[in-house]
Amino acid sequence: MSAVDLGLRVQVLLTAVALLAALLPVRARRLLSGVCAVLLGAAIAATGVAVLAGGTGRLSVATALPLDPLLFAPSGLGAYVMVLVGVVGAIGAIAGTGSAHGASSSSTTWAAYALFLLGMSAVCAADDVVGFLFGWELMALASTVLVLTEHRERADVRSAGLLYAVMTHLSFLLVLLGFSILAAQAGSTSFAALSRVDPSSGAASVAYVLLVLGFLTKAGAVPLHVWLPRAHPAAPTHVSAVMSAAMVKLGVYGVLLVVLRLLPGGPWWWGLLLVLVGVASATYGILRASVLADLKVSLACSTTENVGLMVTAVGVAVLLRGSGESASAQVAVAACLLLMVAHAAFKTTLFLGAGAVLHATGVRDADELGGLAARMPVTSASFGVGALGAAALPVTAGFVAEWALFQSLVHGGDVDDRLVSVVLPVTVALVALTAGLALLTFVKMWGLAFLARPRSAAAAAAREVGGWERTAGLLGACAVVAIGVAPGLLAPALRAAGGLTGVEPVGVGGISFPGIGVSLQPAVLAIVAVVLSVLLAVPVVLAARRTPRRRVELPWGCGGVRLDPRMQYTATSYAEPLTRVFDDALRPRRELEVVPYATAPQLVSEVHFRQDLDDVVETRAYRPVVRLADRIGAAARSLQDGSIHRYLLYAFAALVVVLVVVAL
Amino acid sequence: MSLRDLVRLVRRTGRVAEPAPPRPGTTCPVPGTHGSVALRHVDAGSCNGCEIEIGAAFGPAYDVERYGVRQVASPRHADGVLVTGVVTRNMAAPLRRTVEATPRPHVVVAVGDCACDGGIFRAAPGVVGAVEDVVDVDLKVPGCPPTPAQIVAALRQVTGR
Repeated sequence: MSAVDLGLRVQVLLTAVALLAALLPVRARRLLSGVCAVLLGAAIAATGVAVLAGGTGRLSVATALPLDPLLFAPSGLGAYVMVLVGVVGAIGAIAGTGSAHGASSSSTTWAAYALFLLGMSAVCAADDVVGFLFGWELMALASTVLVLTEHRERADVRSAGLLYAVMTHLSFLLVLLGFSILAAQAGSTSFAALSRVDPSSGAASVAYVLLVLGFLTKAGAVPLHVWLPRAHPAAPTHVSAVMSAAMVKLGVYGVLLVVLRLLPGGPWWWGLLLVLVGVASATYGILRASVLADLKVSLACSTTENVGLMVTAVGVAVLLRGSGESASAQVAVAACLLLMVAHAAFKTTLFLGAGAVLHATGVRDADELGGLAARMPVTSASFGVGALGAAALPVTAGFVAEWALFQSLVHGGDVDDRLVSVVLPVTVALVALTAGLALLTFVKMWGLAFLARPRSAAAAAAREVGGWERTAGLLGACAVVAIGVAPGLLAPALRAAGGLTGVEPVGVGGISFPGIGVSLQPAVLAIVAVVLSVLLAVPVVLAARRTPRRRVELPWGCGGVRLDPRMQYTATSYAEPLTRVFDDALRPRRELEVVPYATAPQLVSEVHFRQDLDDVVETRAYRPVVRLADRIGAAARSLQDGSIHRYLLYAFAALVVVLVVVAL
Repeated sequence: MSLRDLVRLVRRTGRVAEPAPPRPGTTCPVPGTHGSVALRHVDAGSCNGCEIEIGAAFGPAYDVERYGVRQVASPRHADGVLVTGVVTRNMAAPLRRTVEATPRPHVVVAVGDCACDGGIFRAAPGVVGAVEDVVDVDLKVPGCPPTPAQIVAALRQVTGR
């Protein structure tokens, strides 16, 4: 029995143990379920590492259905995502052990968490359609239960859970339809058979569109992203970290699976579709993230942006491969894989940090936070590192990933294909816009929540969270920096995952793409930067010590104590210029009410200002569809009027129709 | 017009300031500054008479800025504080805070009889006292109000120009 076989079986065993541990009383449950979930995550990651190192293995599960047995045999790509899922799941479990209380620490939640991890692992390991769909549905059900955890305590959780359940089953339906069409063409349900279907046939195109739509719904790409900013804040913190960092990756994994393994080499519009959706998601997602004040909603919109970048990378890879530039196409695939890992690292850190802030203050709105850096130093540091990674600043994972994406876009440009030579420069411009907006978003998020003075009593009363949550945040921050300083360590994994030949480690942990002739050695940059800053800092510090420090009692307020935390920037005011510039895309609704004194109408007593930034896609596209469905449902109710004669007529008509169809 | 007359006309044009009196000694310098001083003016409760004279001193006729004296808006940018008026109850704490906010070393110049020793408002209600009752004073300029020439002469003792 190989390591991979053992790993797959150990995962199932650990899930069973975790389900049993969830039945214990509360104190023991939290610790033991948490430990089991951490071990399960570690087992998933270890299985993935074993496959990436060259091992093979399979788990075949026979069912009572009249189908072939479910086949779980992870490939390189699936193993790469398994490692990601396992590590994120383990870190989430560590944070959950510390932060879960009340409803989040119930048996149902811990059991659902273990099943959630197992479902994601099953999706990655599946080698046939039925196993894939089984894992998909298990993941969907478990995550719906997890999203609905706090439905008794918060009113918005129920509607968010309902929307999430509908969207995730919509994705399941679309993926099922797509796979059914392909399986009908191939005659079998295993992925090996599906990869033999001709990509240029009409049925393959229909299946491609259905599969991509289904996977992009799960990944949260525009216009199917509306559930993300609702469901992620509704779920408990450690769950939303895992959902955002690991679950949406499975949507991107699905797209990669279709494009690289099942239907490679399709017509030109396949890649264009992905690039269009990706670029739209990236710009719209980060635009919404930069103007919203709620920490968790903003992070969820940022997930949409990163998913958009990943999908753009895949689309560019398809376009370039179709026009013959295989070196740049490989770099684009490597960029997508690097984006997946980088996003997993920094998004976990950011969500766990936001959860720690919520735990300590009870407040999610950055307009009411502030001054937390002095009160919560460890959380502030890990959130800061995560924000640097999300803003793609050097020596972080996000920088390496965006660098790879830009390299593939820039070097793929010298090609005769007219489509590619138009699409790529526009993509470069829009990705650069996204990067700029991301920097603004994360400066706003970290600066307003952690720096300056507290804007509310809740923020002033904050205290650092417990050891489990701090550890989880620091682990995420270490991952962000480690990948940023030594990306070359990932090069063998990238090669195994994407079947790439053009990725090499170079120098001290650096990464290079010899096919297009670029390389990046962040460790060297980091060492040079550290040496320079030490050379500059030491004389400055020594010179500063000559003049004695004077304690400043009071900041200058024109002779009085007139500084009020309300005078500081809030998140809404910081983003106001952006809201004004992009008001056609964001459509903010503003209400301003000025209340004068009754006896002196020229004097203002109160001013009320309210700004609503609802998602334009939801108000313009989703609500009309829901209203139409309501009207159809109301009209159809007239068929059910209680008359038994009419019901018998329906049954008779159905019988006649069936007989006619069978006779034809 | 000859060339010499033309040059003299050019040099004369725009000059309205009184010719500078002889240079006094530097009796009240600010350590660390040489030849210039930035002052923040605080009105601790004056009748505005001294302010008008200070305004004339900074104007084109007396032009104390020739001697390196400058008025600044924030005490954080200043080398000293120029105080006018008797110190009223409401202005005692702000005056103290302003002097505290000025980086050391600094000077405090009290302009006018009210700032020096309370003047005619010494016994009025709402008055705390002269400036030296609230903060340490380095230079006093007596007068009710002191003429712009006296103010210029006093400030020249700070800059030494």
